[in-house]
Amino acid sequence: MVEETGDGRPETKARGLWREAWSVFRRNRAALVGLALLAIIALVVVLGPMAYPVDPFDIVGAPKARPGAEAEAPLGTDYLGRDVLAGLIKGGRPTLLVGFCAALITALIGITIGALGGFYGRWVDGVLGRVTEFFQVLPALLFAMVLITLFAPSLLTVTLAIGIVAWTSMARLTRAEYLRIRELEYVRAARSIGASNARIIWRIILPNAMPPIMVSATLATGSAILFEAGLSFLGLSDPNIMSWGLMIGSNRNYLREAWWAVTFPGLAIFVTVLAISLVGDGLNDAFNPKLRTR
Amino acid sequence: MSGPLLEVEGLKVEFDTWDGRVRVLDGVSLSVSPGETLGIVGESGCGKSMTALAVMGLVPKPAGHVTGGAIRYRGEDLVKASDGRMRDLRGNRIAMIFQEPMTSLNPVFTVGDQIAETARLHLGLSPAEARKRAVEMLRAVHIPEAERRVAEYPHQFSGGMRQRVMIAMALACEPEVLIADEPTTALDVTVQAQIFDLLEELRAAEGTAIVLITHDMGATAEMADRVVVMYAGRKVEEGPVDAILGNPAHPYTQGLLACRPNLQLGHAAARPQLHEIPGVVPPLHLLGRGCAFADRCPRAMPRCGEAFPPAYDVGESHAAACWLLEEARAA
Repeated sequence: MVEETGDGRPETKARGLWREAWSVFRRNRAALVGLALLAIIALVVVLGPMAYPVDPFDIVGAPKARPGAEAEAPLGTDYLGRDVLAGLIKGGRPTLLVGFCAALITALIGITIGALGGFYGRWVDGVLGRVTEFFQVLPALLFAMVLITLFAPSLLTVTLAIGIVAWTSMARLTRAEYLRIRELEYVRAARSIGASNARIIWRIILPNAMPPIMVSATLATGSAILFEAGLSFLGLSDPNIMSWGLMIGSNRNYLREAWWAVTFPGLAIFVTVLAISLVGDGLNDAFNPKLRTR
Repeated sequence: MSGPLLEVEGLKVEFDTWDGRVRVLDGVSLSVSPGETLGIVGESGCGKSMTALAVMGLVPKPAGHVTGGAIRYRGEDLVKASDGRMRDLRGNRIAMIFQEPMTSLNPVFTVGDQIAETARLHLGLSPAEARKRAVEMLRAVHIPEAERRVAEYPHQFSGGMRQRVMIAMALACEPEVLIADEPTTALDVTVQAQIFDLLEELRAAEGTAIVLITHDMGATAEMADRVVVMYAGRKVEEGPVDAILGNPAHPYTQGLLACRPNLQLGHAAARPQLHEIPGVVPPLHLLGRGCAFADRCPRAMPRCGEAFPPAYDVGESHAAACWLLEEARAA
């Protein structure tokens, strides 16, 4: 949020909420570790396939080869003789993609429903509140499975299904923030200069409600990745796209003979979700003034 | 002075509460002309702020309703105006500044963005023009280094400076009516004087009509041309500032004036005790037919509980609603 002033001097004093949050975040060692881990994972997932261009569906050697036993597959092969390392590198993309996109859908639905309910109150809130509760009491995994089996299991349906079952907590959080912020003086002041409802909802209140929503969206990414892994494990994701969940799912019957084919993708998921949670906690501390003094 | 710019006539506002429907404004009438400052005084809860919100079309919904009367701006009745029309007027022709400068600015935008927003909403300026306008406005309210401070956030401003920013926001479209709802209550005395000087300067320069809502009689004496005294949702006295301060006719106004502390040196024991009006403004749902002030009035008579007194003229455009005045007239 650094802005040039009229006379061209760089503005050094103008520190917005975000800059202040960053200065707190920077002092949180666990969050920085999480951020570094995420950066490494992103680097491997984005650039890895170019540096290690083995097709994870190719059979490169004997099945269930131990890590290090075959030169072509440093982390061993799975029950069909496919390279586990190639799977890890290539399988990260769909996993992370589904995670982020599902979190985005979660945020879009949750923020819209929460914002409208919290802002307008009365019957709007009543109706949207009941809709939220309806989705809340559905067994999430079962409902997602139904959605996926109704349509073809593809990355898109999996993403949509996760987004549709996971938005309720985001809606509740957003609603609570709107209920609080809509009564504040600066919202009244905005009204007094002639701002419309739409403007107040999206331009005035939303930026102020963003900090907790961001934290929640970050953590939602982690749970979406876990959810995707769960669905893949059950064989409910696209079988033609290698993902960490699919690796675990397809190798689960051979866990005792080839533990590495399940353990490494499991570790990859674990580390990714851990990194996201650390970053989410860091954001929470950074945005929550009550925790700042620690 | 030409005719009134803003005229409120017999305004009634009611609220739905757990205790039933409560009338918070009962037949309030007032008017301001261009270049004039009207003071509205009274204790907390007497309806001053509600009058301001009603004029802005911002009576809290769904509980509040304007149930009677008219609010005329240049002859147009704002009570009947559409939401869209009110949005056009708000901030553009009629602007308001609030009591709490510390919380009335949006913390996530720079002050420049917030001033520019008013100008962009109503004047259709481009972002660059609006930004220039924001700098001009900051200069107009005497904020030093306006070019630099326009890019700063509200938390980097002191209370008095924030109130200046609020005033800049309210004045960005050169409104004809400015409603100031206790603009200095939250500020230091020295800063108060600066803000009043600023409002006075703008009024003189632009001919803005100012409605100053306050419970501070000193501020009223300094700023207002005419004064309306309100009690429990009703106007109890109205007149030129000299008449109200020098020769108050209503016991409530007399009480308010007596409550002002005087600067006196000496031992605490030697100083005269501060005067007070006993009791508080009664809960509005418990008001009877009579004068709402009767329970606290040192000169209450039996008939005060029976009916609300009409307004009696007591001087040049000076009127008060009290039965004592009829007694005085009869005697």
